[in-house]
Amino acid sequence: MSATQSEYLRPKDLRAALEHKAATPDARFIAGGTDLLVHARRPGATLPQSLISLRAVAELNEVTVVGATLRIGAAAPLTEVARHPVIAERLPALVASIDVLGSRQIRNVATLGGNLCNASPAADTAPPLLVHDARVELQHVGGRREVPLVEFFRGPGETAIEANEVMTAVLLELPPPNAEAAFERKGRVRMDLAIAIVAGLFELDGSVVRRARVAAGAVAPLPLRLTEVEERLTGSELDDDVIAEARRLTTEAISPISDLRSSADYRRHLTGVFVERMLHGVAGSSVTGRPGA
Amino acid sequence: MTDTRYIGSHRARPDAADKVTGKVRYIHDISKPGMLYGKIKRSEHAHARIVSIDTTRAERLPGVCAVITGYNTPPVAVGFLRDNSALKRDKVRHFRDEVAAVAAIDPDIAAAAIDLIEVEYEPLPCVFDPLEALEPGAPLVHEQDARGTSVTSNLVPMECGHDSGDVEAARRAAAHIVEGDYSVPLIQQSCLGTAGCIAEFDGNDNLTITAKTQIPFLAQRDFNRALGEMGLRGRNSRVIVPALGGAFGSGLDTHCYEFIAILLAHRTGRPVKILVDREEEFASLSPRQSARVKIAQGCDAQGRLLFRDIEVVQDNGAYASWGATFPTVMLLPVTSLYRVPNVRFTSCIVYTNNTYCQAMRGYGNPEVTWAIDSNLDDLADAAGIDALEMRRINCNEPGEVTPMQMKISTCGLRECLDKTAEHLDWSEKRGAGSGPGQTRTGVGMASLIHVGGSGRIYRSDASGLTVKLDDFGNVNVFYGGVEMGQGLHAVLTMAVADSFGVLPEHVHINQTDTATCPWDVGTHASRGAFMSCNAAILAAEKVRARIFSACEELFPAEIDRALTKLRRDDPELGVPDFDFAAASRADNFELRDSEVFLRDGPDVPWARVPLGRILRAMHFRRDGEMLTESVFYDPPSDLPDWKKGIGNMSACYTYGVQGVEVEVDEDTGEVAIKKLVSALDVGKVLNPPALRGQVYGGIAQGIGYALYEEVKTEQGRILNPNFTDYKLPTACEMDFPIVLEFIETDEPVGPFGAKGAGEPGLVPTAPAIANAIQDAIGVRIRDLPITPEKILAALAKRG
Repeated sequence: MSATQSEYLRPKDLRAALEHKAATPDARFIAGGTDLLVHARRPGATLPQSLISLRAVAELNEVTVVGATLRIGAAAPLTEVARHPVIAERLPALVASIDVLGSRQIRNVATLGGNLCNASPAADTAPPLLVHDARVELQHVGGRREVPLVEFFRGPGETAIEANEVMTAVLLELPPPNAEAAFERKGRVRMDLAIAIVAGLFELDGSVVRRARVAAGAVAPLPLRLTEVEERLTGSELDDDVIAEARRLTTEAISPISDLRSSADYRRHLTGVFVERMLHGVAGSSVTGRPGA
Repeated sequence: MTDTRYIGSHRARPDAADKVTGKVRYIHDISKPGMLYGKIKRSEHAHARIVSIDTTRAERLPGVCAVITGYNTPPVAVGFLRDNSALKRDKVRHFRDEVAAVAAIDPDIAAAAIDLIEVEYEPLPCVFDPLEALEPGAPLVHEQDARGTSVTSNLVPMECGHDSGDVEAARRAAAHIVEGDYSVPLIQQSCLGTAGCIAEFDGNDNLTITAKTQIPFLAQRDFNRALGEMGLRGRNSRVIVPALGGAFGSGLDTHCYEFIAILLAHRTGRPVKILVDREEEFASLSPRQSARVKIAQGCDAQGRLLFRDIEVVQDNGAYASWGATFPTVMLLPVTSLYRVPNVRFTSCIVYTNNTYCQAMRGYGNPEVTWAIDSNLDDLADAAGIDALEMRRINCNEPGEVTPMQMKISTCGLRECLDKTAEHLDWSEKRGAGSGPGQTRTGVGMASLIHVGGSGRIYRSDASGLTVKLDDFGNVNVFYGGVEMGQGLHAVLTMAVADSFGVLPEHVHINQTDTATCPWDVGTHASRGAFMSCNAAILAAEKVRARIFSACEELFPAEIDRALTKLRRDDPELGVPDFDFAAASRADNFELRDSEVFLRDGPDVPWARVPLGRILRAMHFRRDGEMLTESVFYDPPSDLPDWKKGIGNMSACYTYGVQGVEVEVDEDTGEVAIKKLVSALDVGKVLNPPALRGQVYGGIAQGIGYALYEEVKTEQGRILNPNFTDYKLPTACEMDFPIVLEFIETDEPVGPFGAKGAGEPGLVPTAPAIANAIQDAIGVRIRDLPITPEKILAALAKRG
């Protein structure tokens, strides 16, 4: 990495940040820097000419609740996101996903927006946000738009974000109090990129599933919503046959690869196990937000 | 020696304050005026002829001071078989091979210059599998040996084996025999502090090299030989060791990058620093080698071991470093872990186009203990004997002479077995089976033997130690061993304080420097504390004798002076009762906490003379003297005959046992350790927190070896040269109770009764875990690391 010629800007408000970006198209936004700086140190890589820090932009660092809508500033450090009282109480799967992301030191600086914009298929926070139907807010000098998270991811490292845009917030509607959320995840060791992630959100009417949302990570080029699984579960009782079929549909819906961390077969197997466990948990007592390993 | 008031106590390490405040200077923190930065161009092929090297563009880059290749520098041979060279000529044998190097005014320019060097290669057929490399017609990694004689095979010319008793007859007589093929992977030492050096020449062409090494004096020998090859015969190299952030064996040999720094420093006339970053450390330094171990053990109907037959094949990689000598240490457990009368051991080390390998903690011992203690559980099963009972039946005992002719003095193995079983609730939990849901629990154990009194693998196994006392009562210690994070300076401070009778605050361990410290073979073989403390005790005897002898003349005068002063302050003071006759005989004196006094004298302040006062009196009298002493401690051991595998290689032996309770998830294949017990016969605990640290660290490394670590390669290229892709256990994985038991057997040749304990922590961890897994789910994993995928595959086979 050559760090000699990089410019580092630290605007205090969003407008200044967006104007810098408009004036310097090659500039990169930086929040926690835990991905960007690691990539820049790779052999042959360089640091961008100009870096625009979002850490001093107050509105990007806030978590607010208006009615049932939660707005998480894209540059809010993960530790603070997980500690927010509403998130801590109402979004156990998101909290569980943050608790296993990197190390404590990483979580103190890494941000929710950064985890999504990096667009790793293994982004820990993506599956729980997907099951909450999260949207992301993107802004540029001329305006703002909202994109459903499920449409935001385009491929490994690729997103719907345009060259002049910055992610300003993650938005979601708080789930009803009776909804059950679940999160399962595994790396080779605990401080590792995930080799498989599963998140779920379920609303039950007695023993019948009224609404099911299931998402998986690290097992396809994108974090995925498993709609076939959701459709099979909706309106069903969670008996062993349904759970077994959900597991089968899961392993069919994903397209894992083999790499240094895991074989595709093991990823597929593990994702199936996670879905099965999650559903047994929901079918049994209400197990909410079981932290994964 | 006085009583031990510091040995065995809890004291902060002398290097602790500097380490936690960031004041310690590692190689990364050191620079010299005018220093240049060196960078190495490595091969793009695993095996290829070098057709041409074009350095013209690199030479023209502003800021570049030198570009060297094997063609414009004198050949410098590297390695104990001299089969490697600092810069390669004619051909490369691995991706890490050094083909050119640059010195430039900053690291970025050096890196840019490296990219401007163009090398044309003619690729050659490669061989990566040691067994394939042994087949007729396999590509030859070396066509000739260091003497230029043609060779016809990839076998490394190292012979190490053992054949005692009659293995074939024992095999026929055995009631039960179990065979197995085991393997261990390539793993990295993974020091927090990566490697590096700074080489500089003075105006007389003498070299000073600041180097990350565990063997400053053998390195000096290697560097002096290189100076000879550079046309500087008779010039000297001085090796200075900076603070090290871990070594674990990685500093046991000299490295091509060091010789390249020397060549660049000589070419430019300026200091040259080469730092090895994390990726380079993985890709271009020497890890622990992979090995395959074929084992058969047999016992009689009562479970008594009758024979052990082991064949080891090691992938040496492209050049010989100390990895090629691992069988010499494998001999220890092969011949002497548990009592086994008939033993055969063959080893074969094979050149391939993989990375070449060298030392790592345990040095061959964990590789083969993995097979021995895993296989022993299977043999116990076959014989219908409990695995703990099997170990008790075959337990080593004090006074035993093993098939290798190792003389076992103290041996606490039986107590270690019992303590481990007790803490593990062995009788309750072994074979008990089930856990919640899809999990199954199990317990297992494995034992170890390791050298406890250094390991003689060189003509001299000695350690010199010099002390220089000064006018202020300081004891300056010059010791050639290396503090690399293990706590050597802490334990040596305590040993000097206790054996001399001085306050630890007055003990100063100086930087290891070949110009000031006496010779030492190196800090390896768990020998640091054993050797340095024994040397300290010898030095203390000499120093104390000289002080007490000087006191015959000086002490009465000091008392007289003290009394005169007291009387001046208090004229009423009478004549205190003091035996001046006793104060003129050397053997009546005692030195404790930096004060000299009469052993049977009055216990009053004026009767105790500060050591500094005595030392000044010795200095400033007529024919004065400065108190400096040197000792050279060579332990009572023999250099084995490696071909026969016979010889008492250590002055004493350390034994231990680890027991593990695991929970295996049959759905995911995950192994969770629920509890780990380590019982270690260390002779005597010298420094409790440092010893615990050593064992905890060893256990963590053992768990990494067992469950996670593997340098993955494809066609010789290392695929995971970083901590994103190569996984070590962290504190998160160490989240289970660890019970440590230390058995104190009071070893007669050990300093204060102690035996070496640096390496044992990781030796039995992997087989103990595998045995616990076997107990939990009934499958035997024989290939490390034990990944969830291997567990699932084995479960699928089990059905």
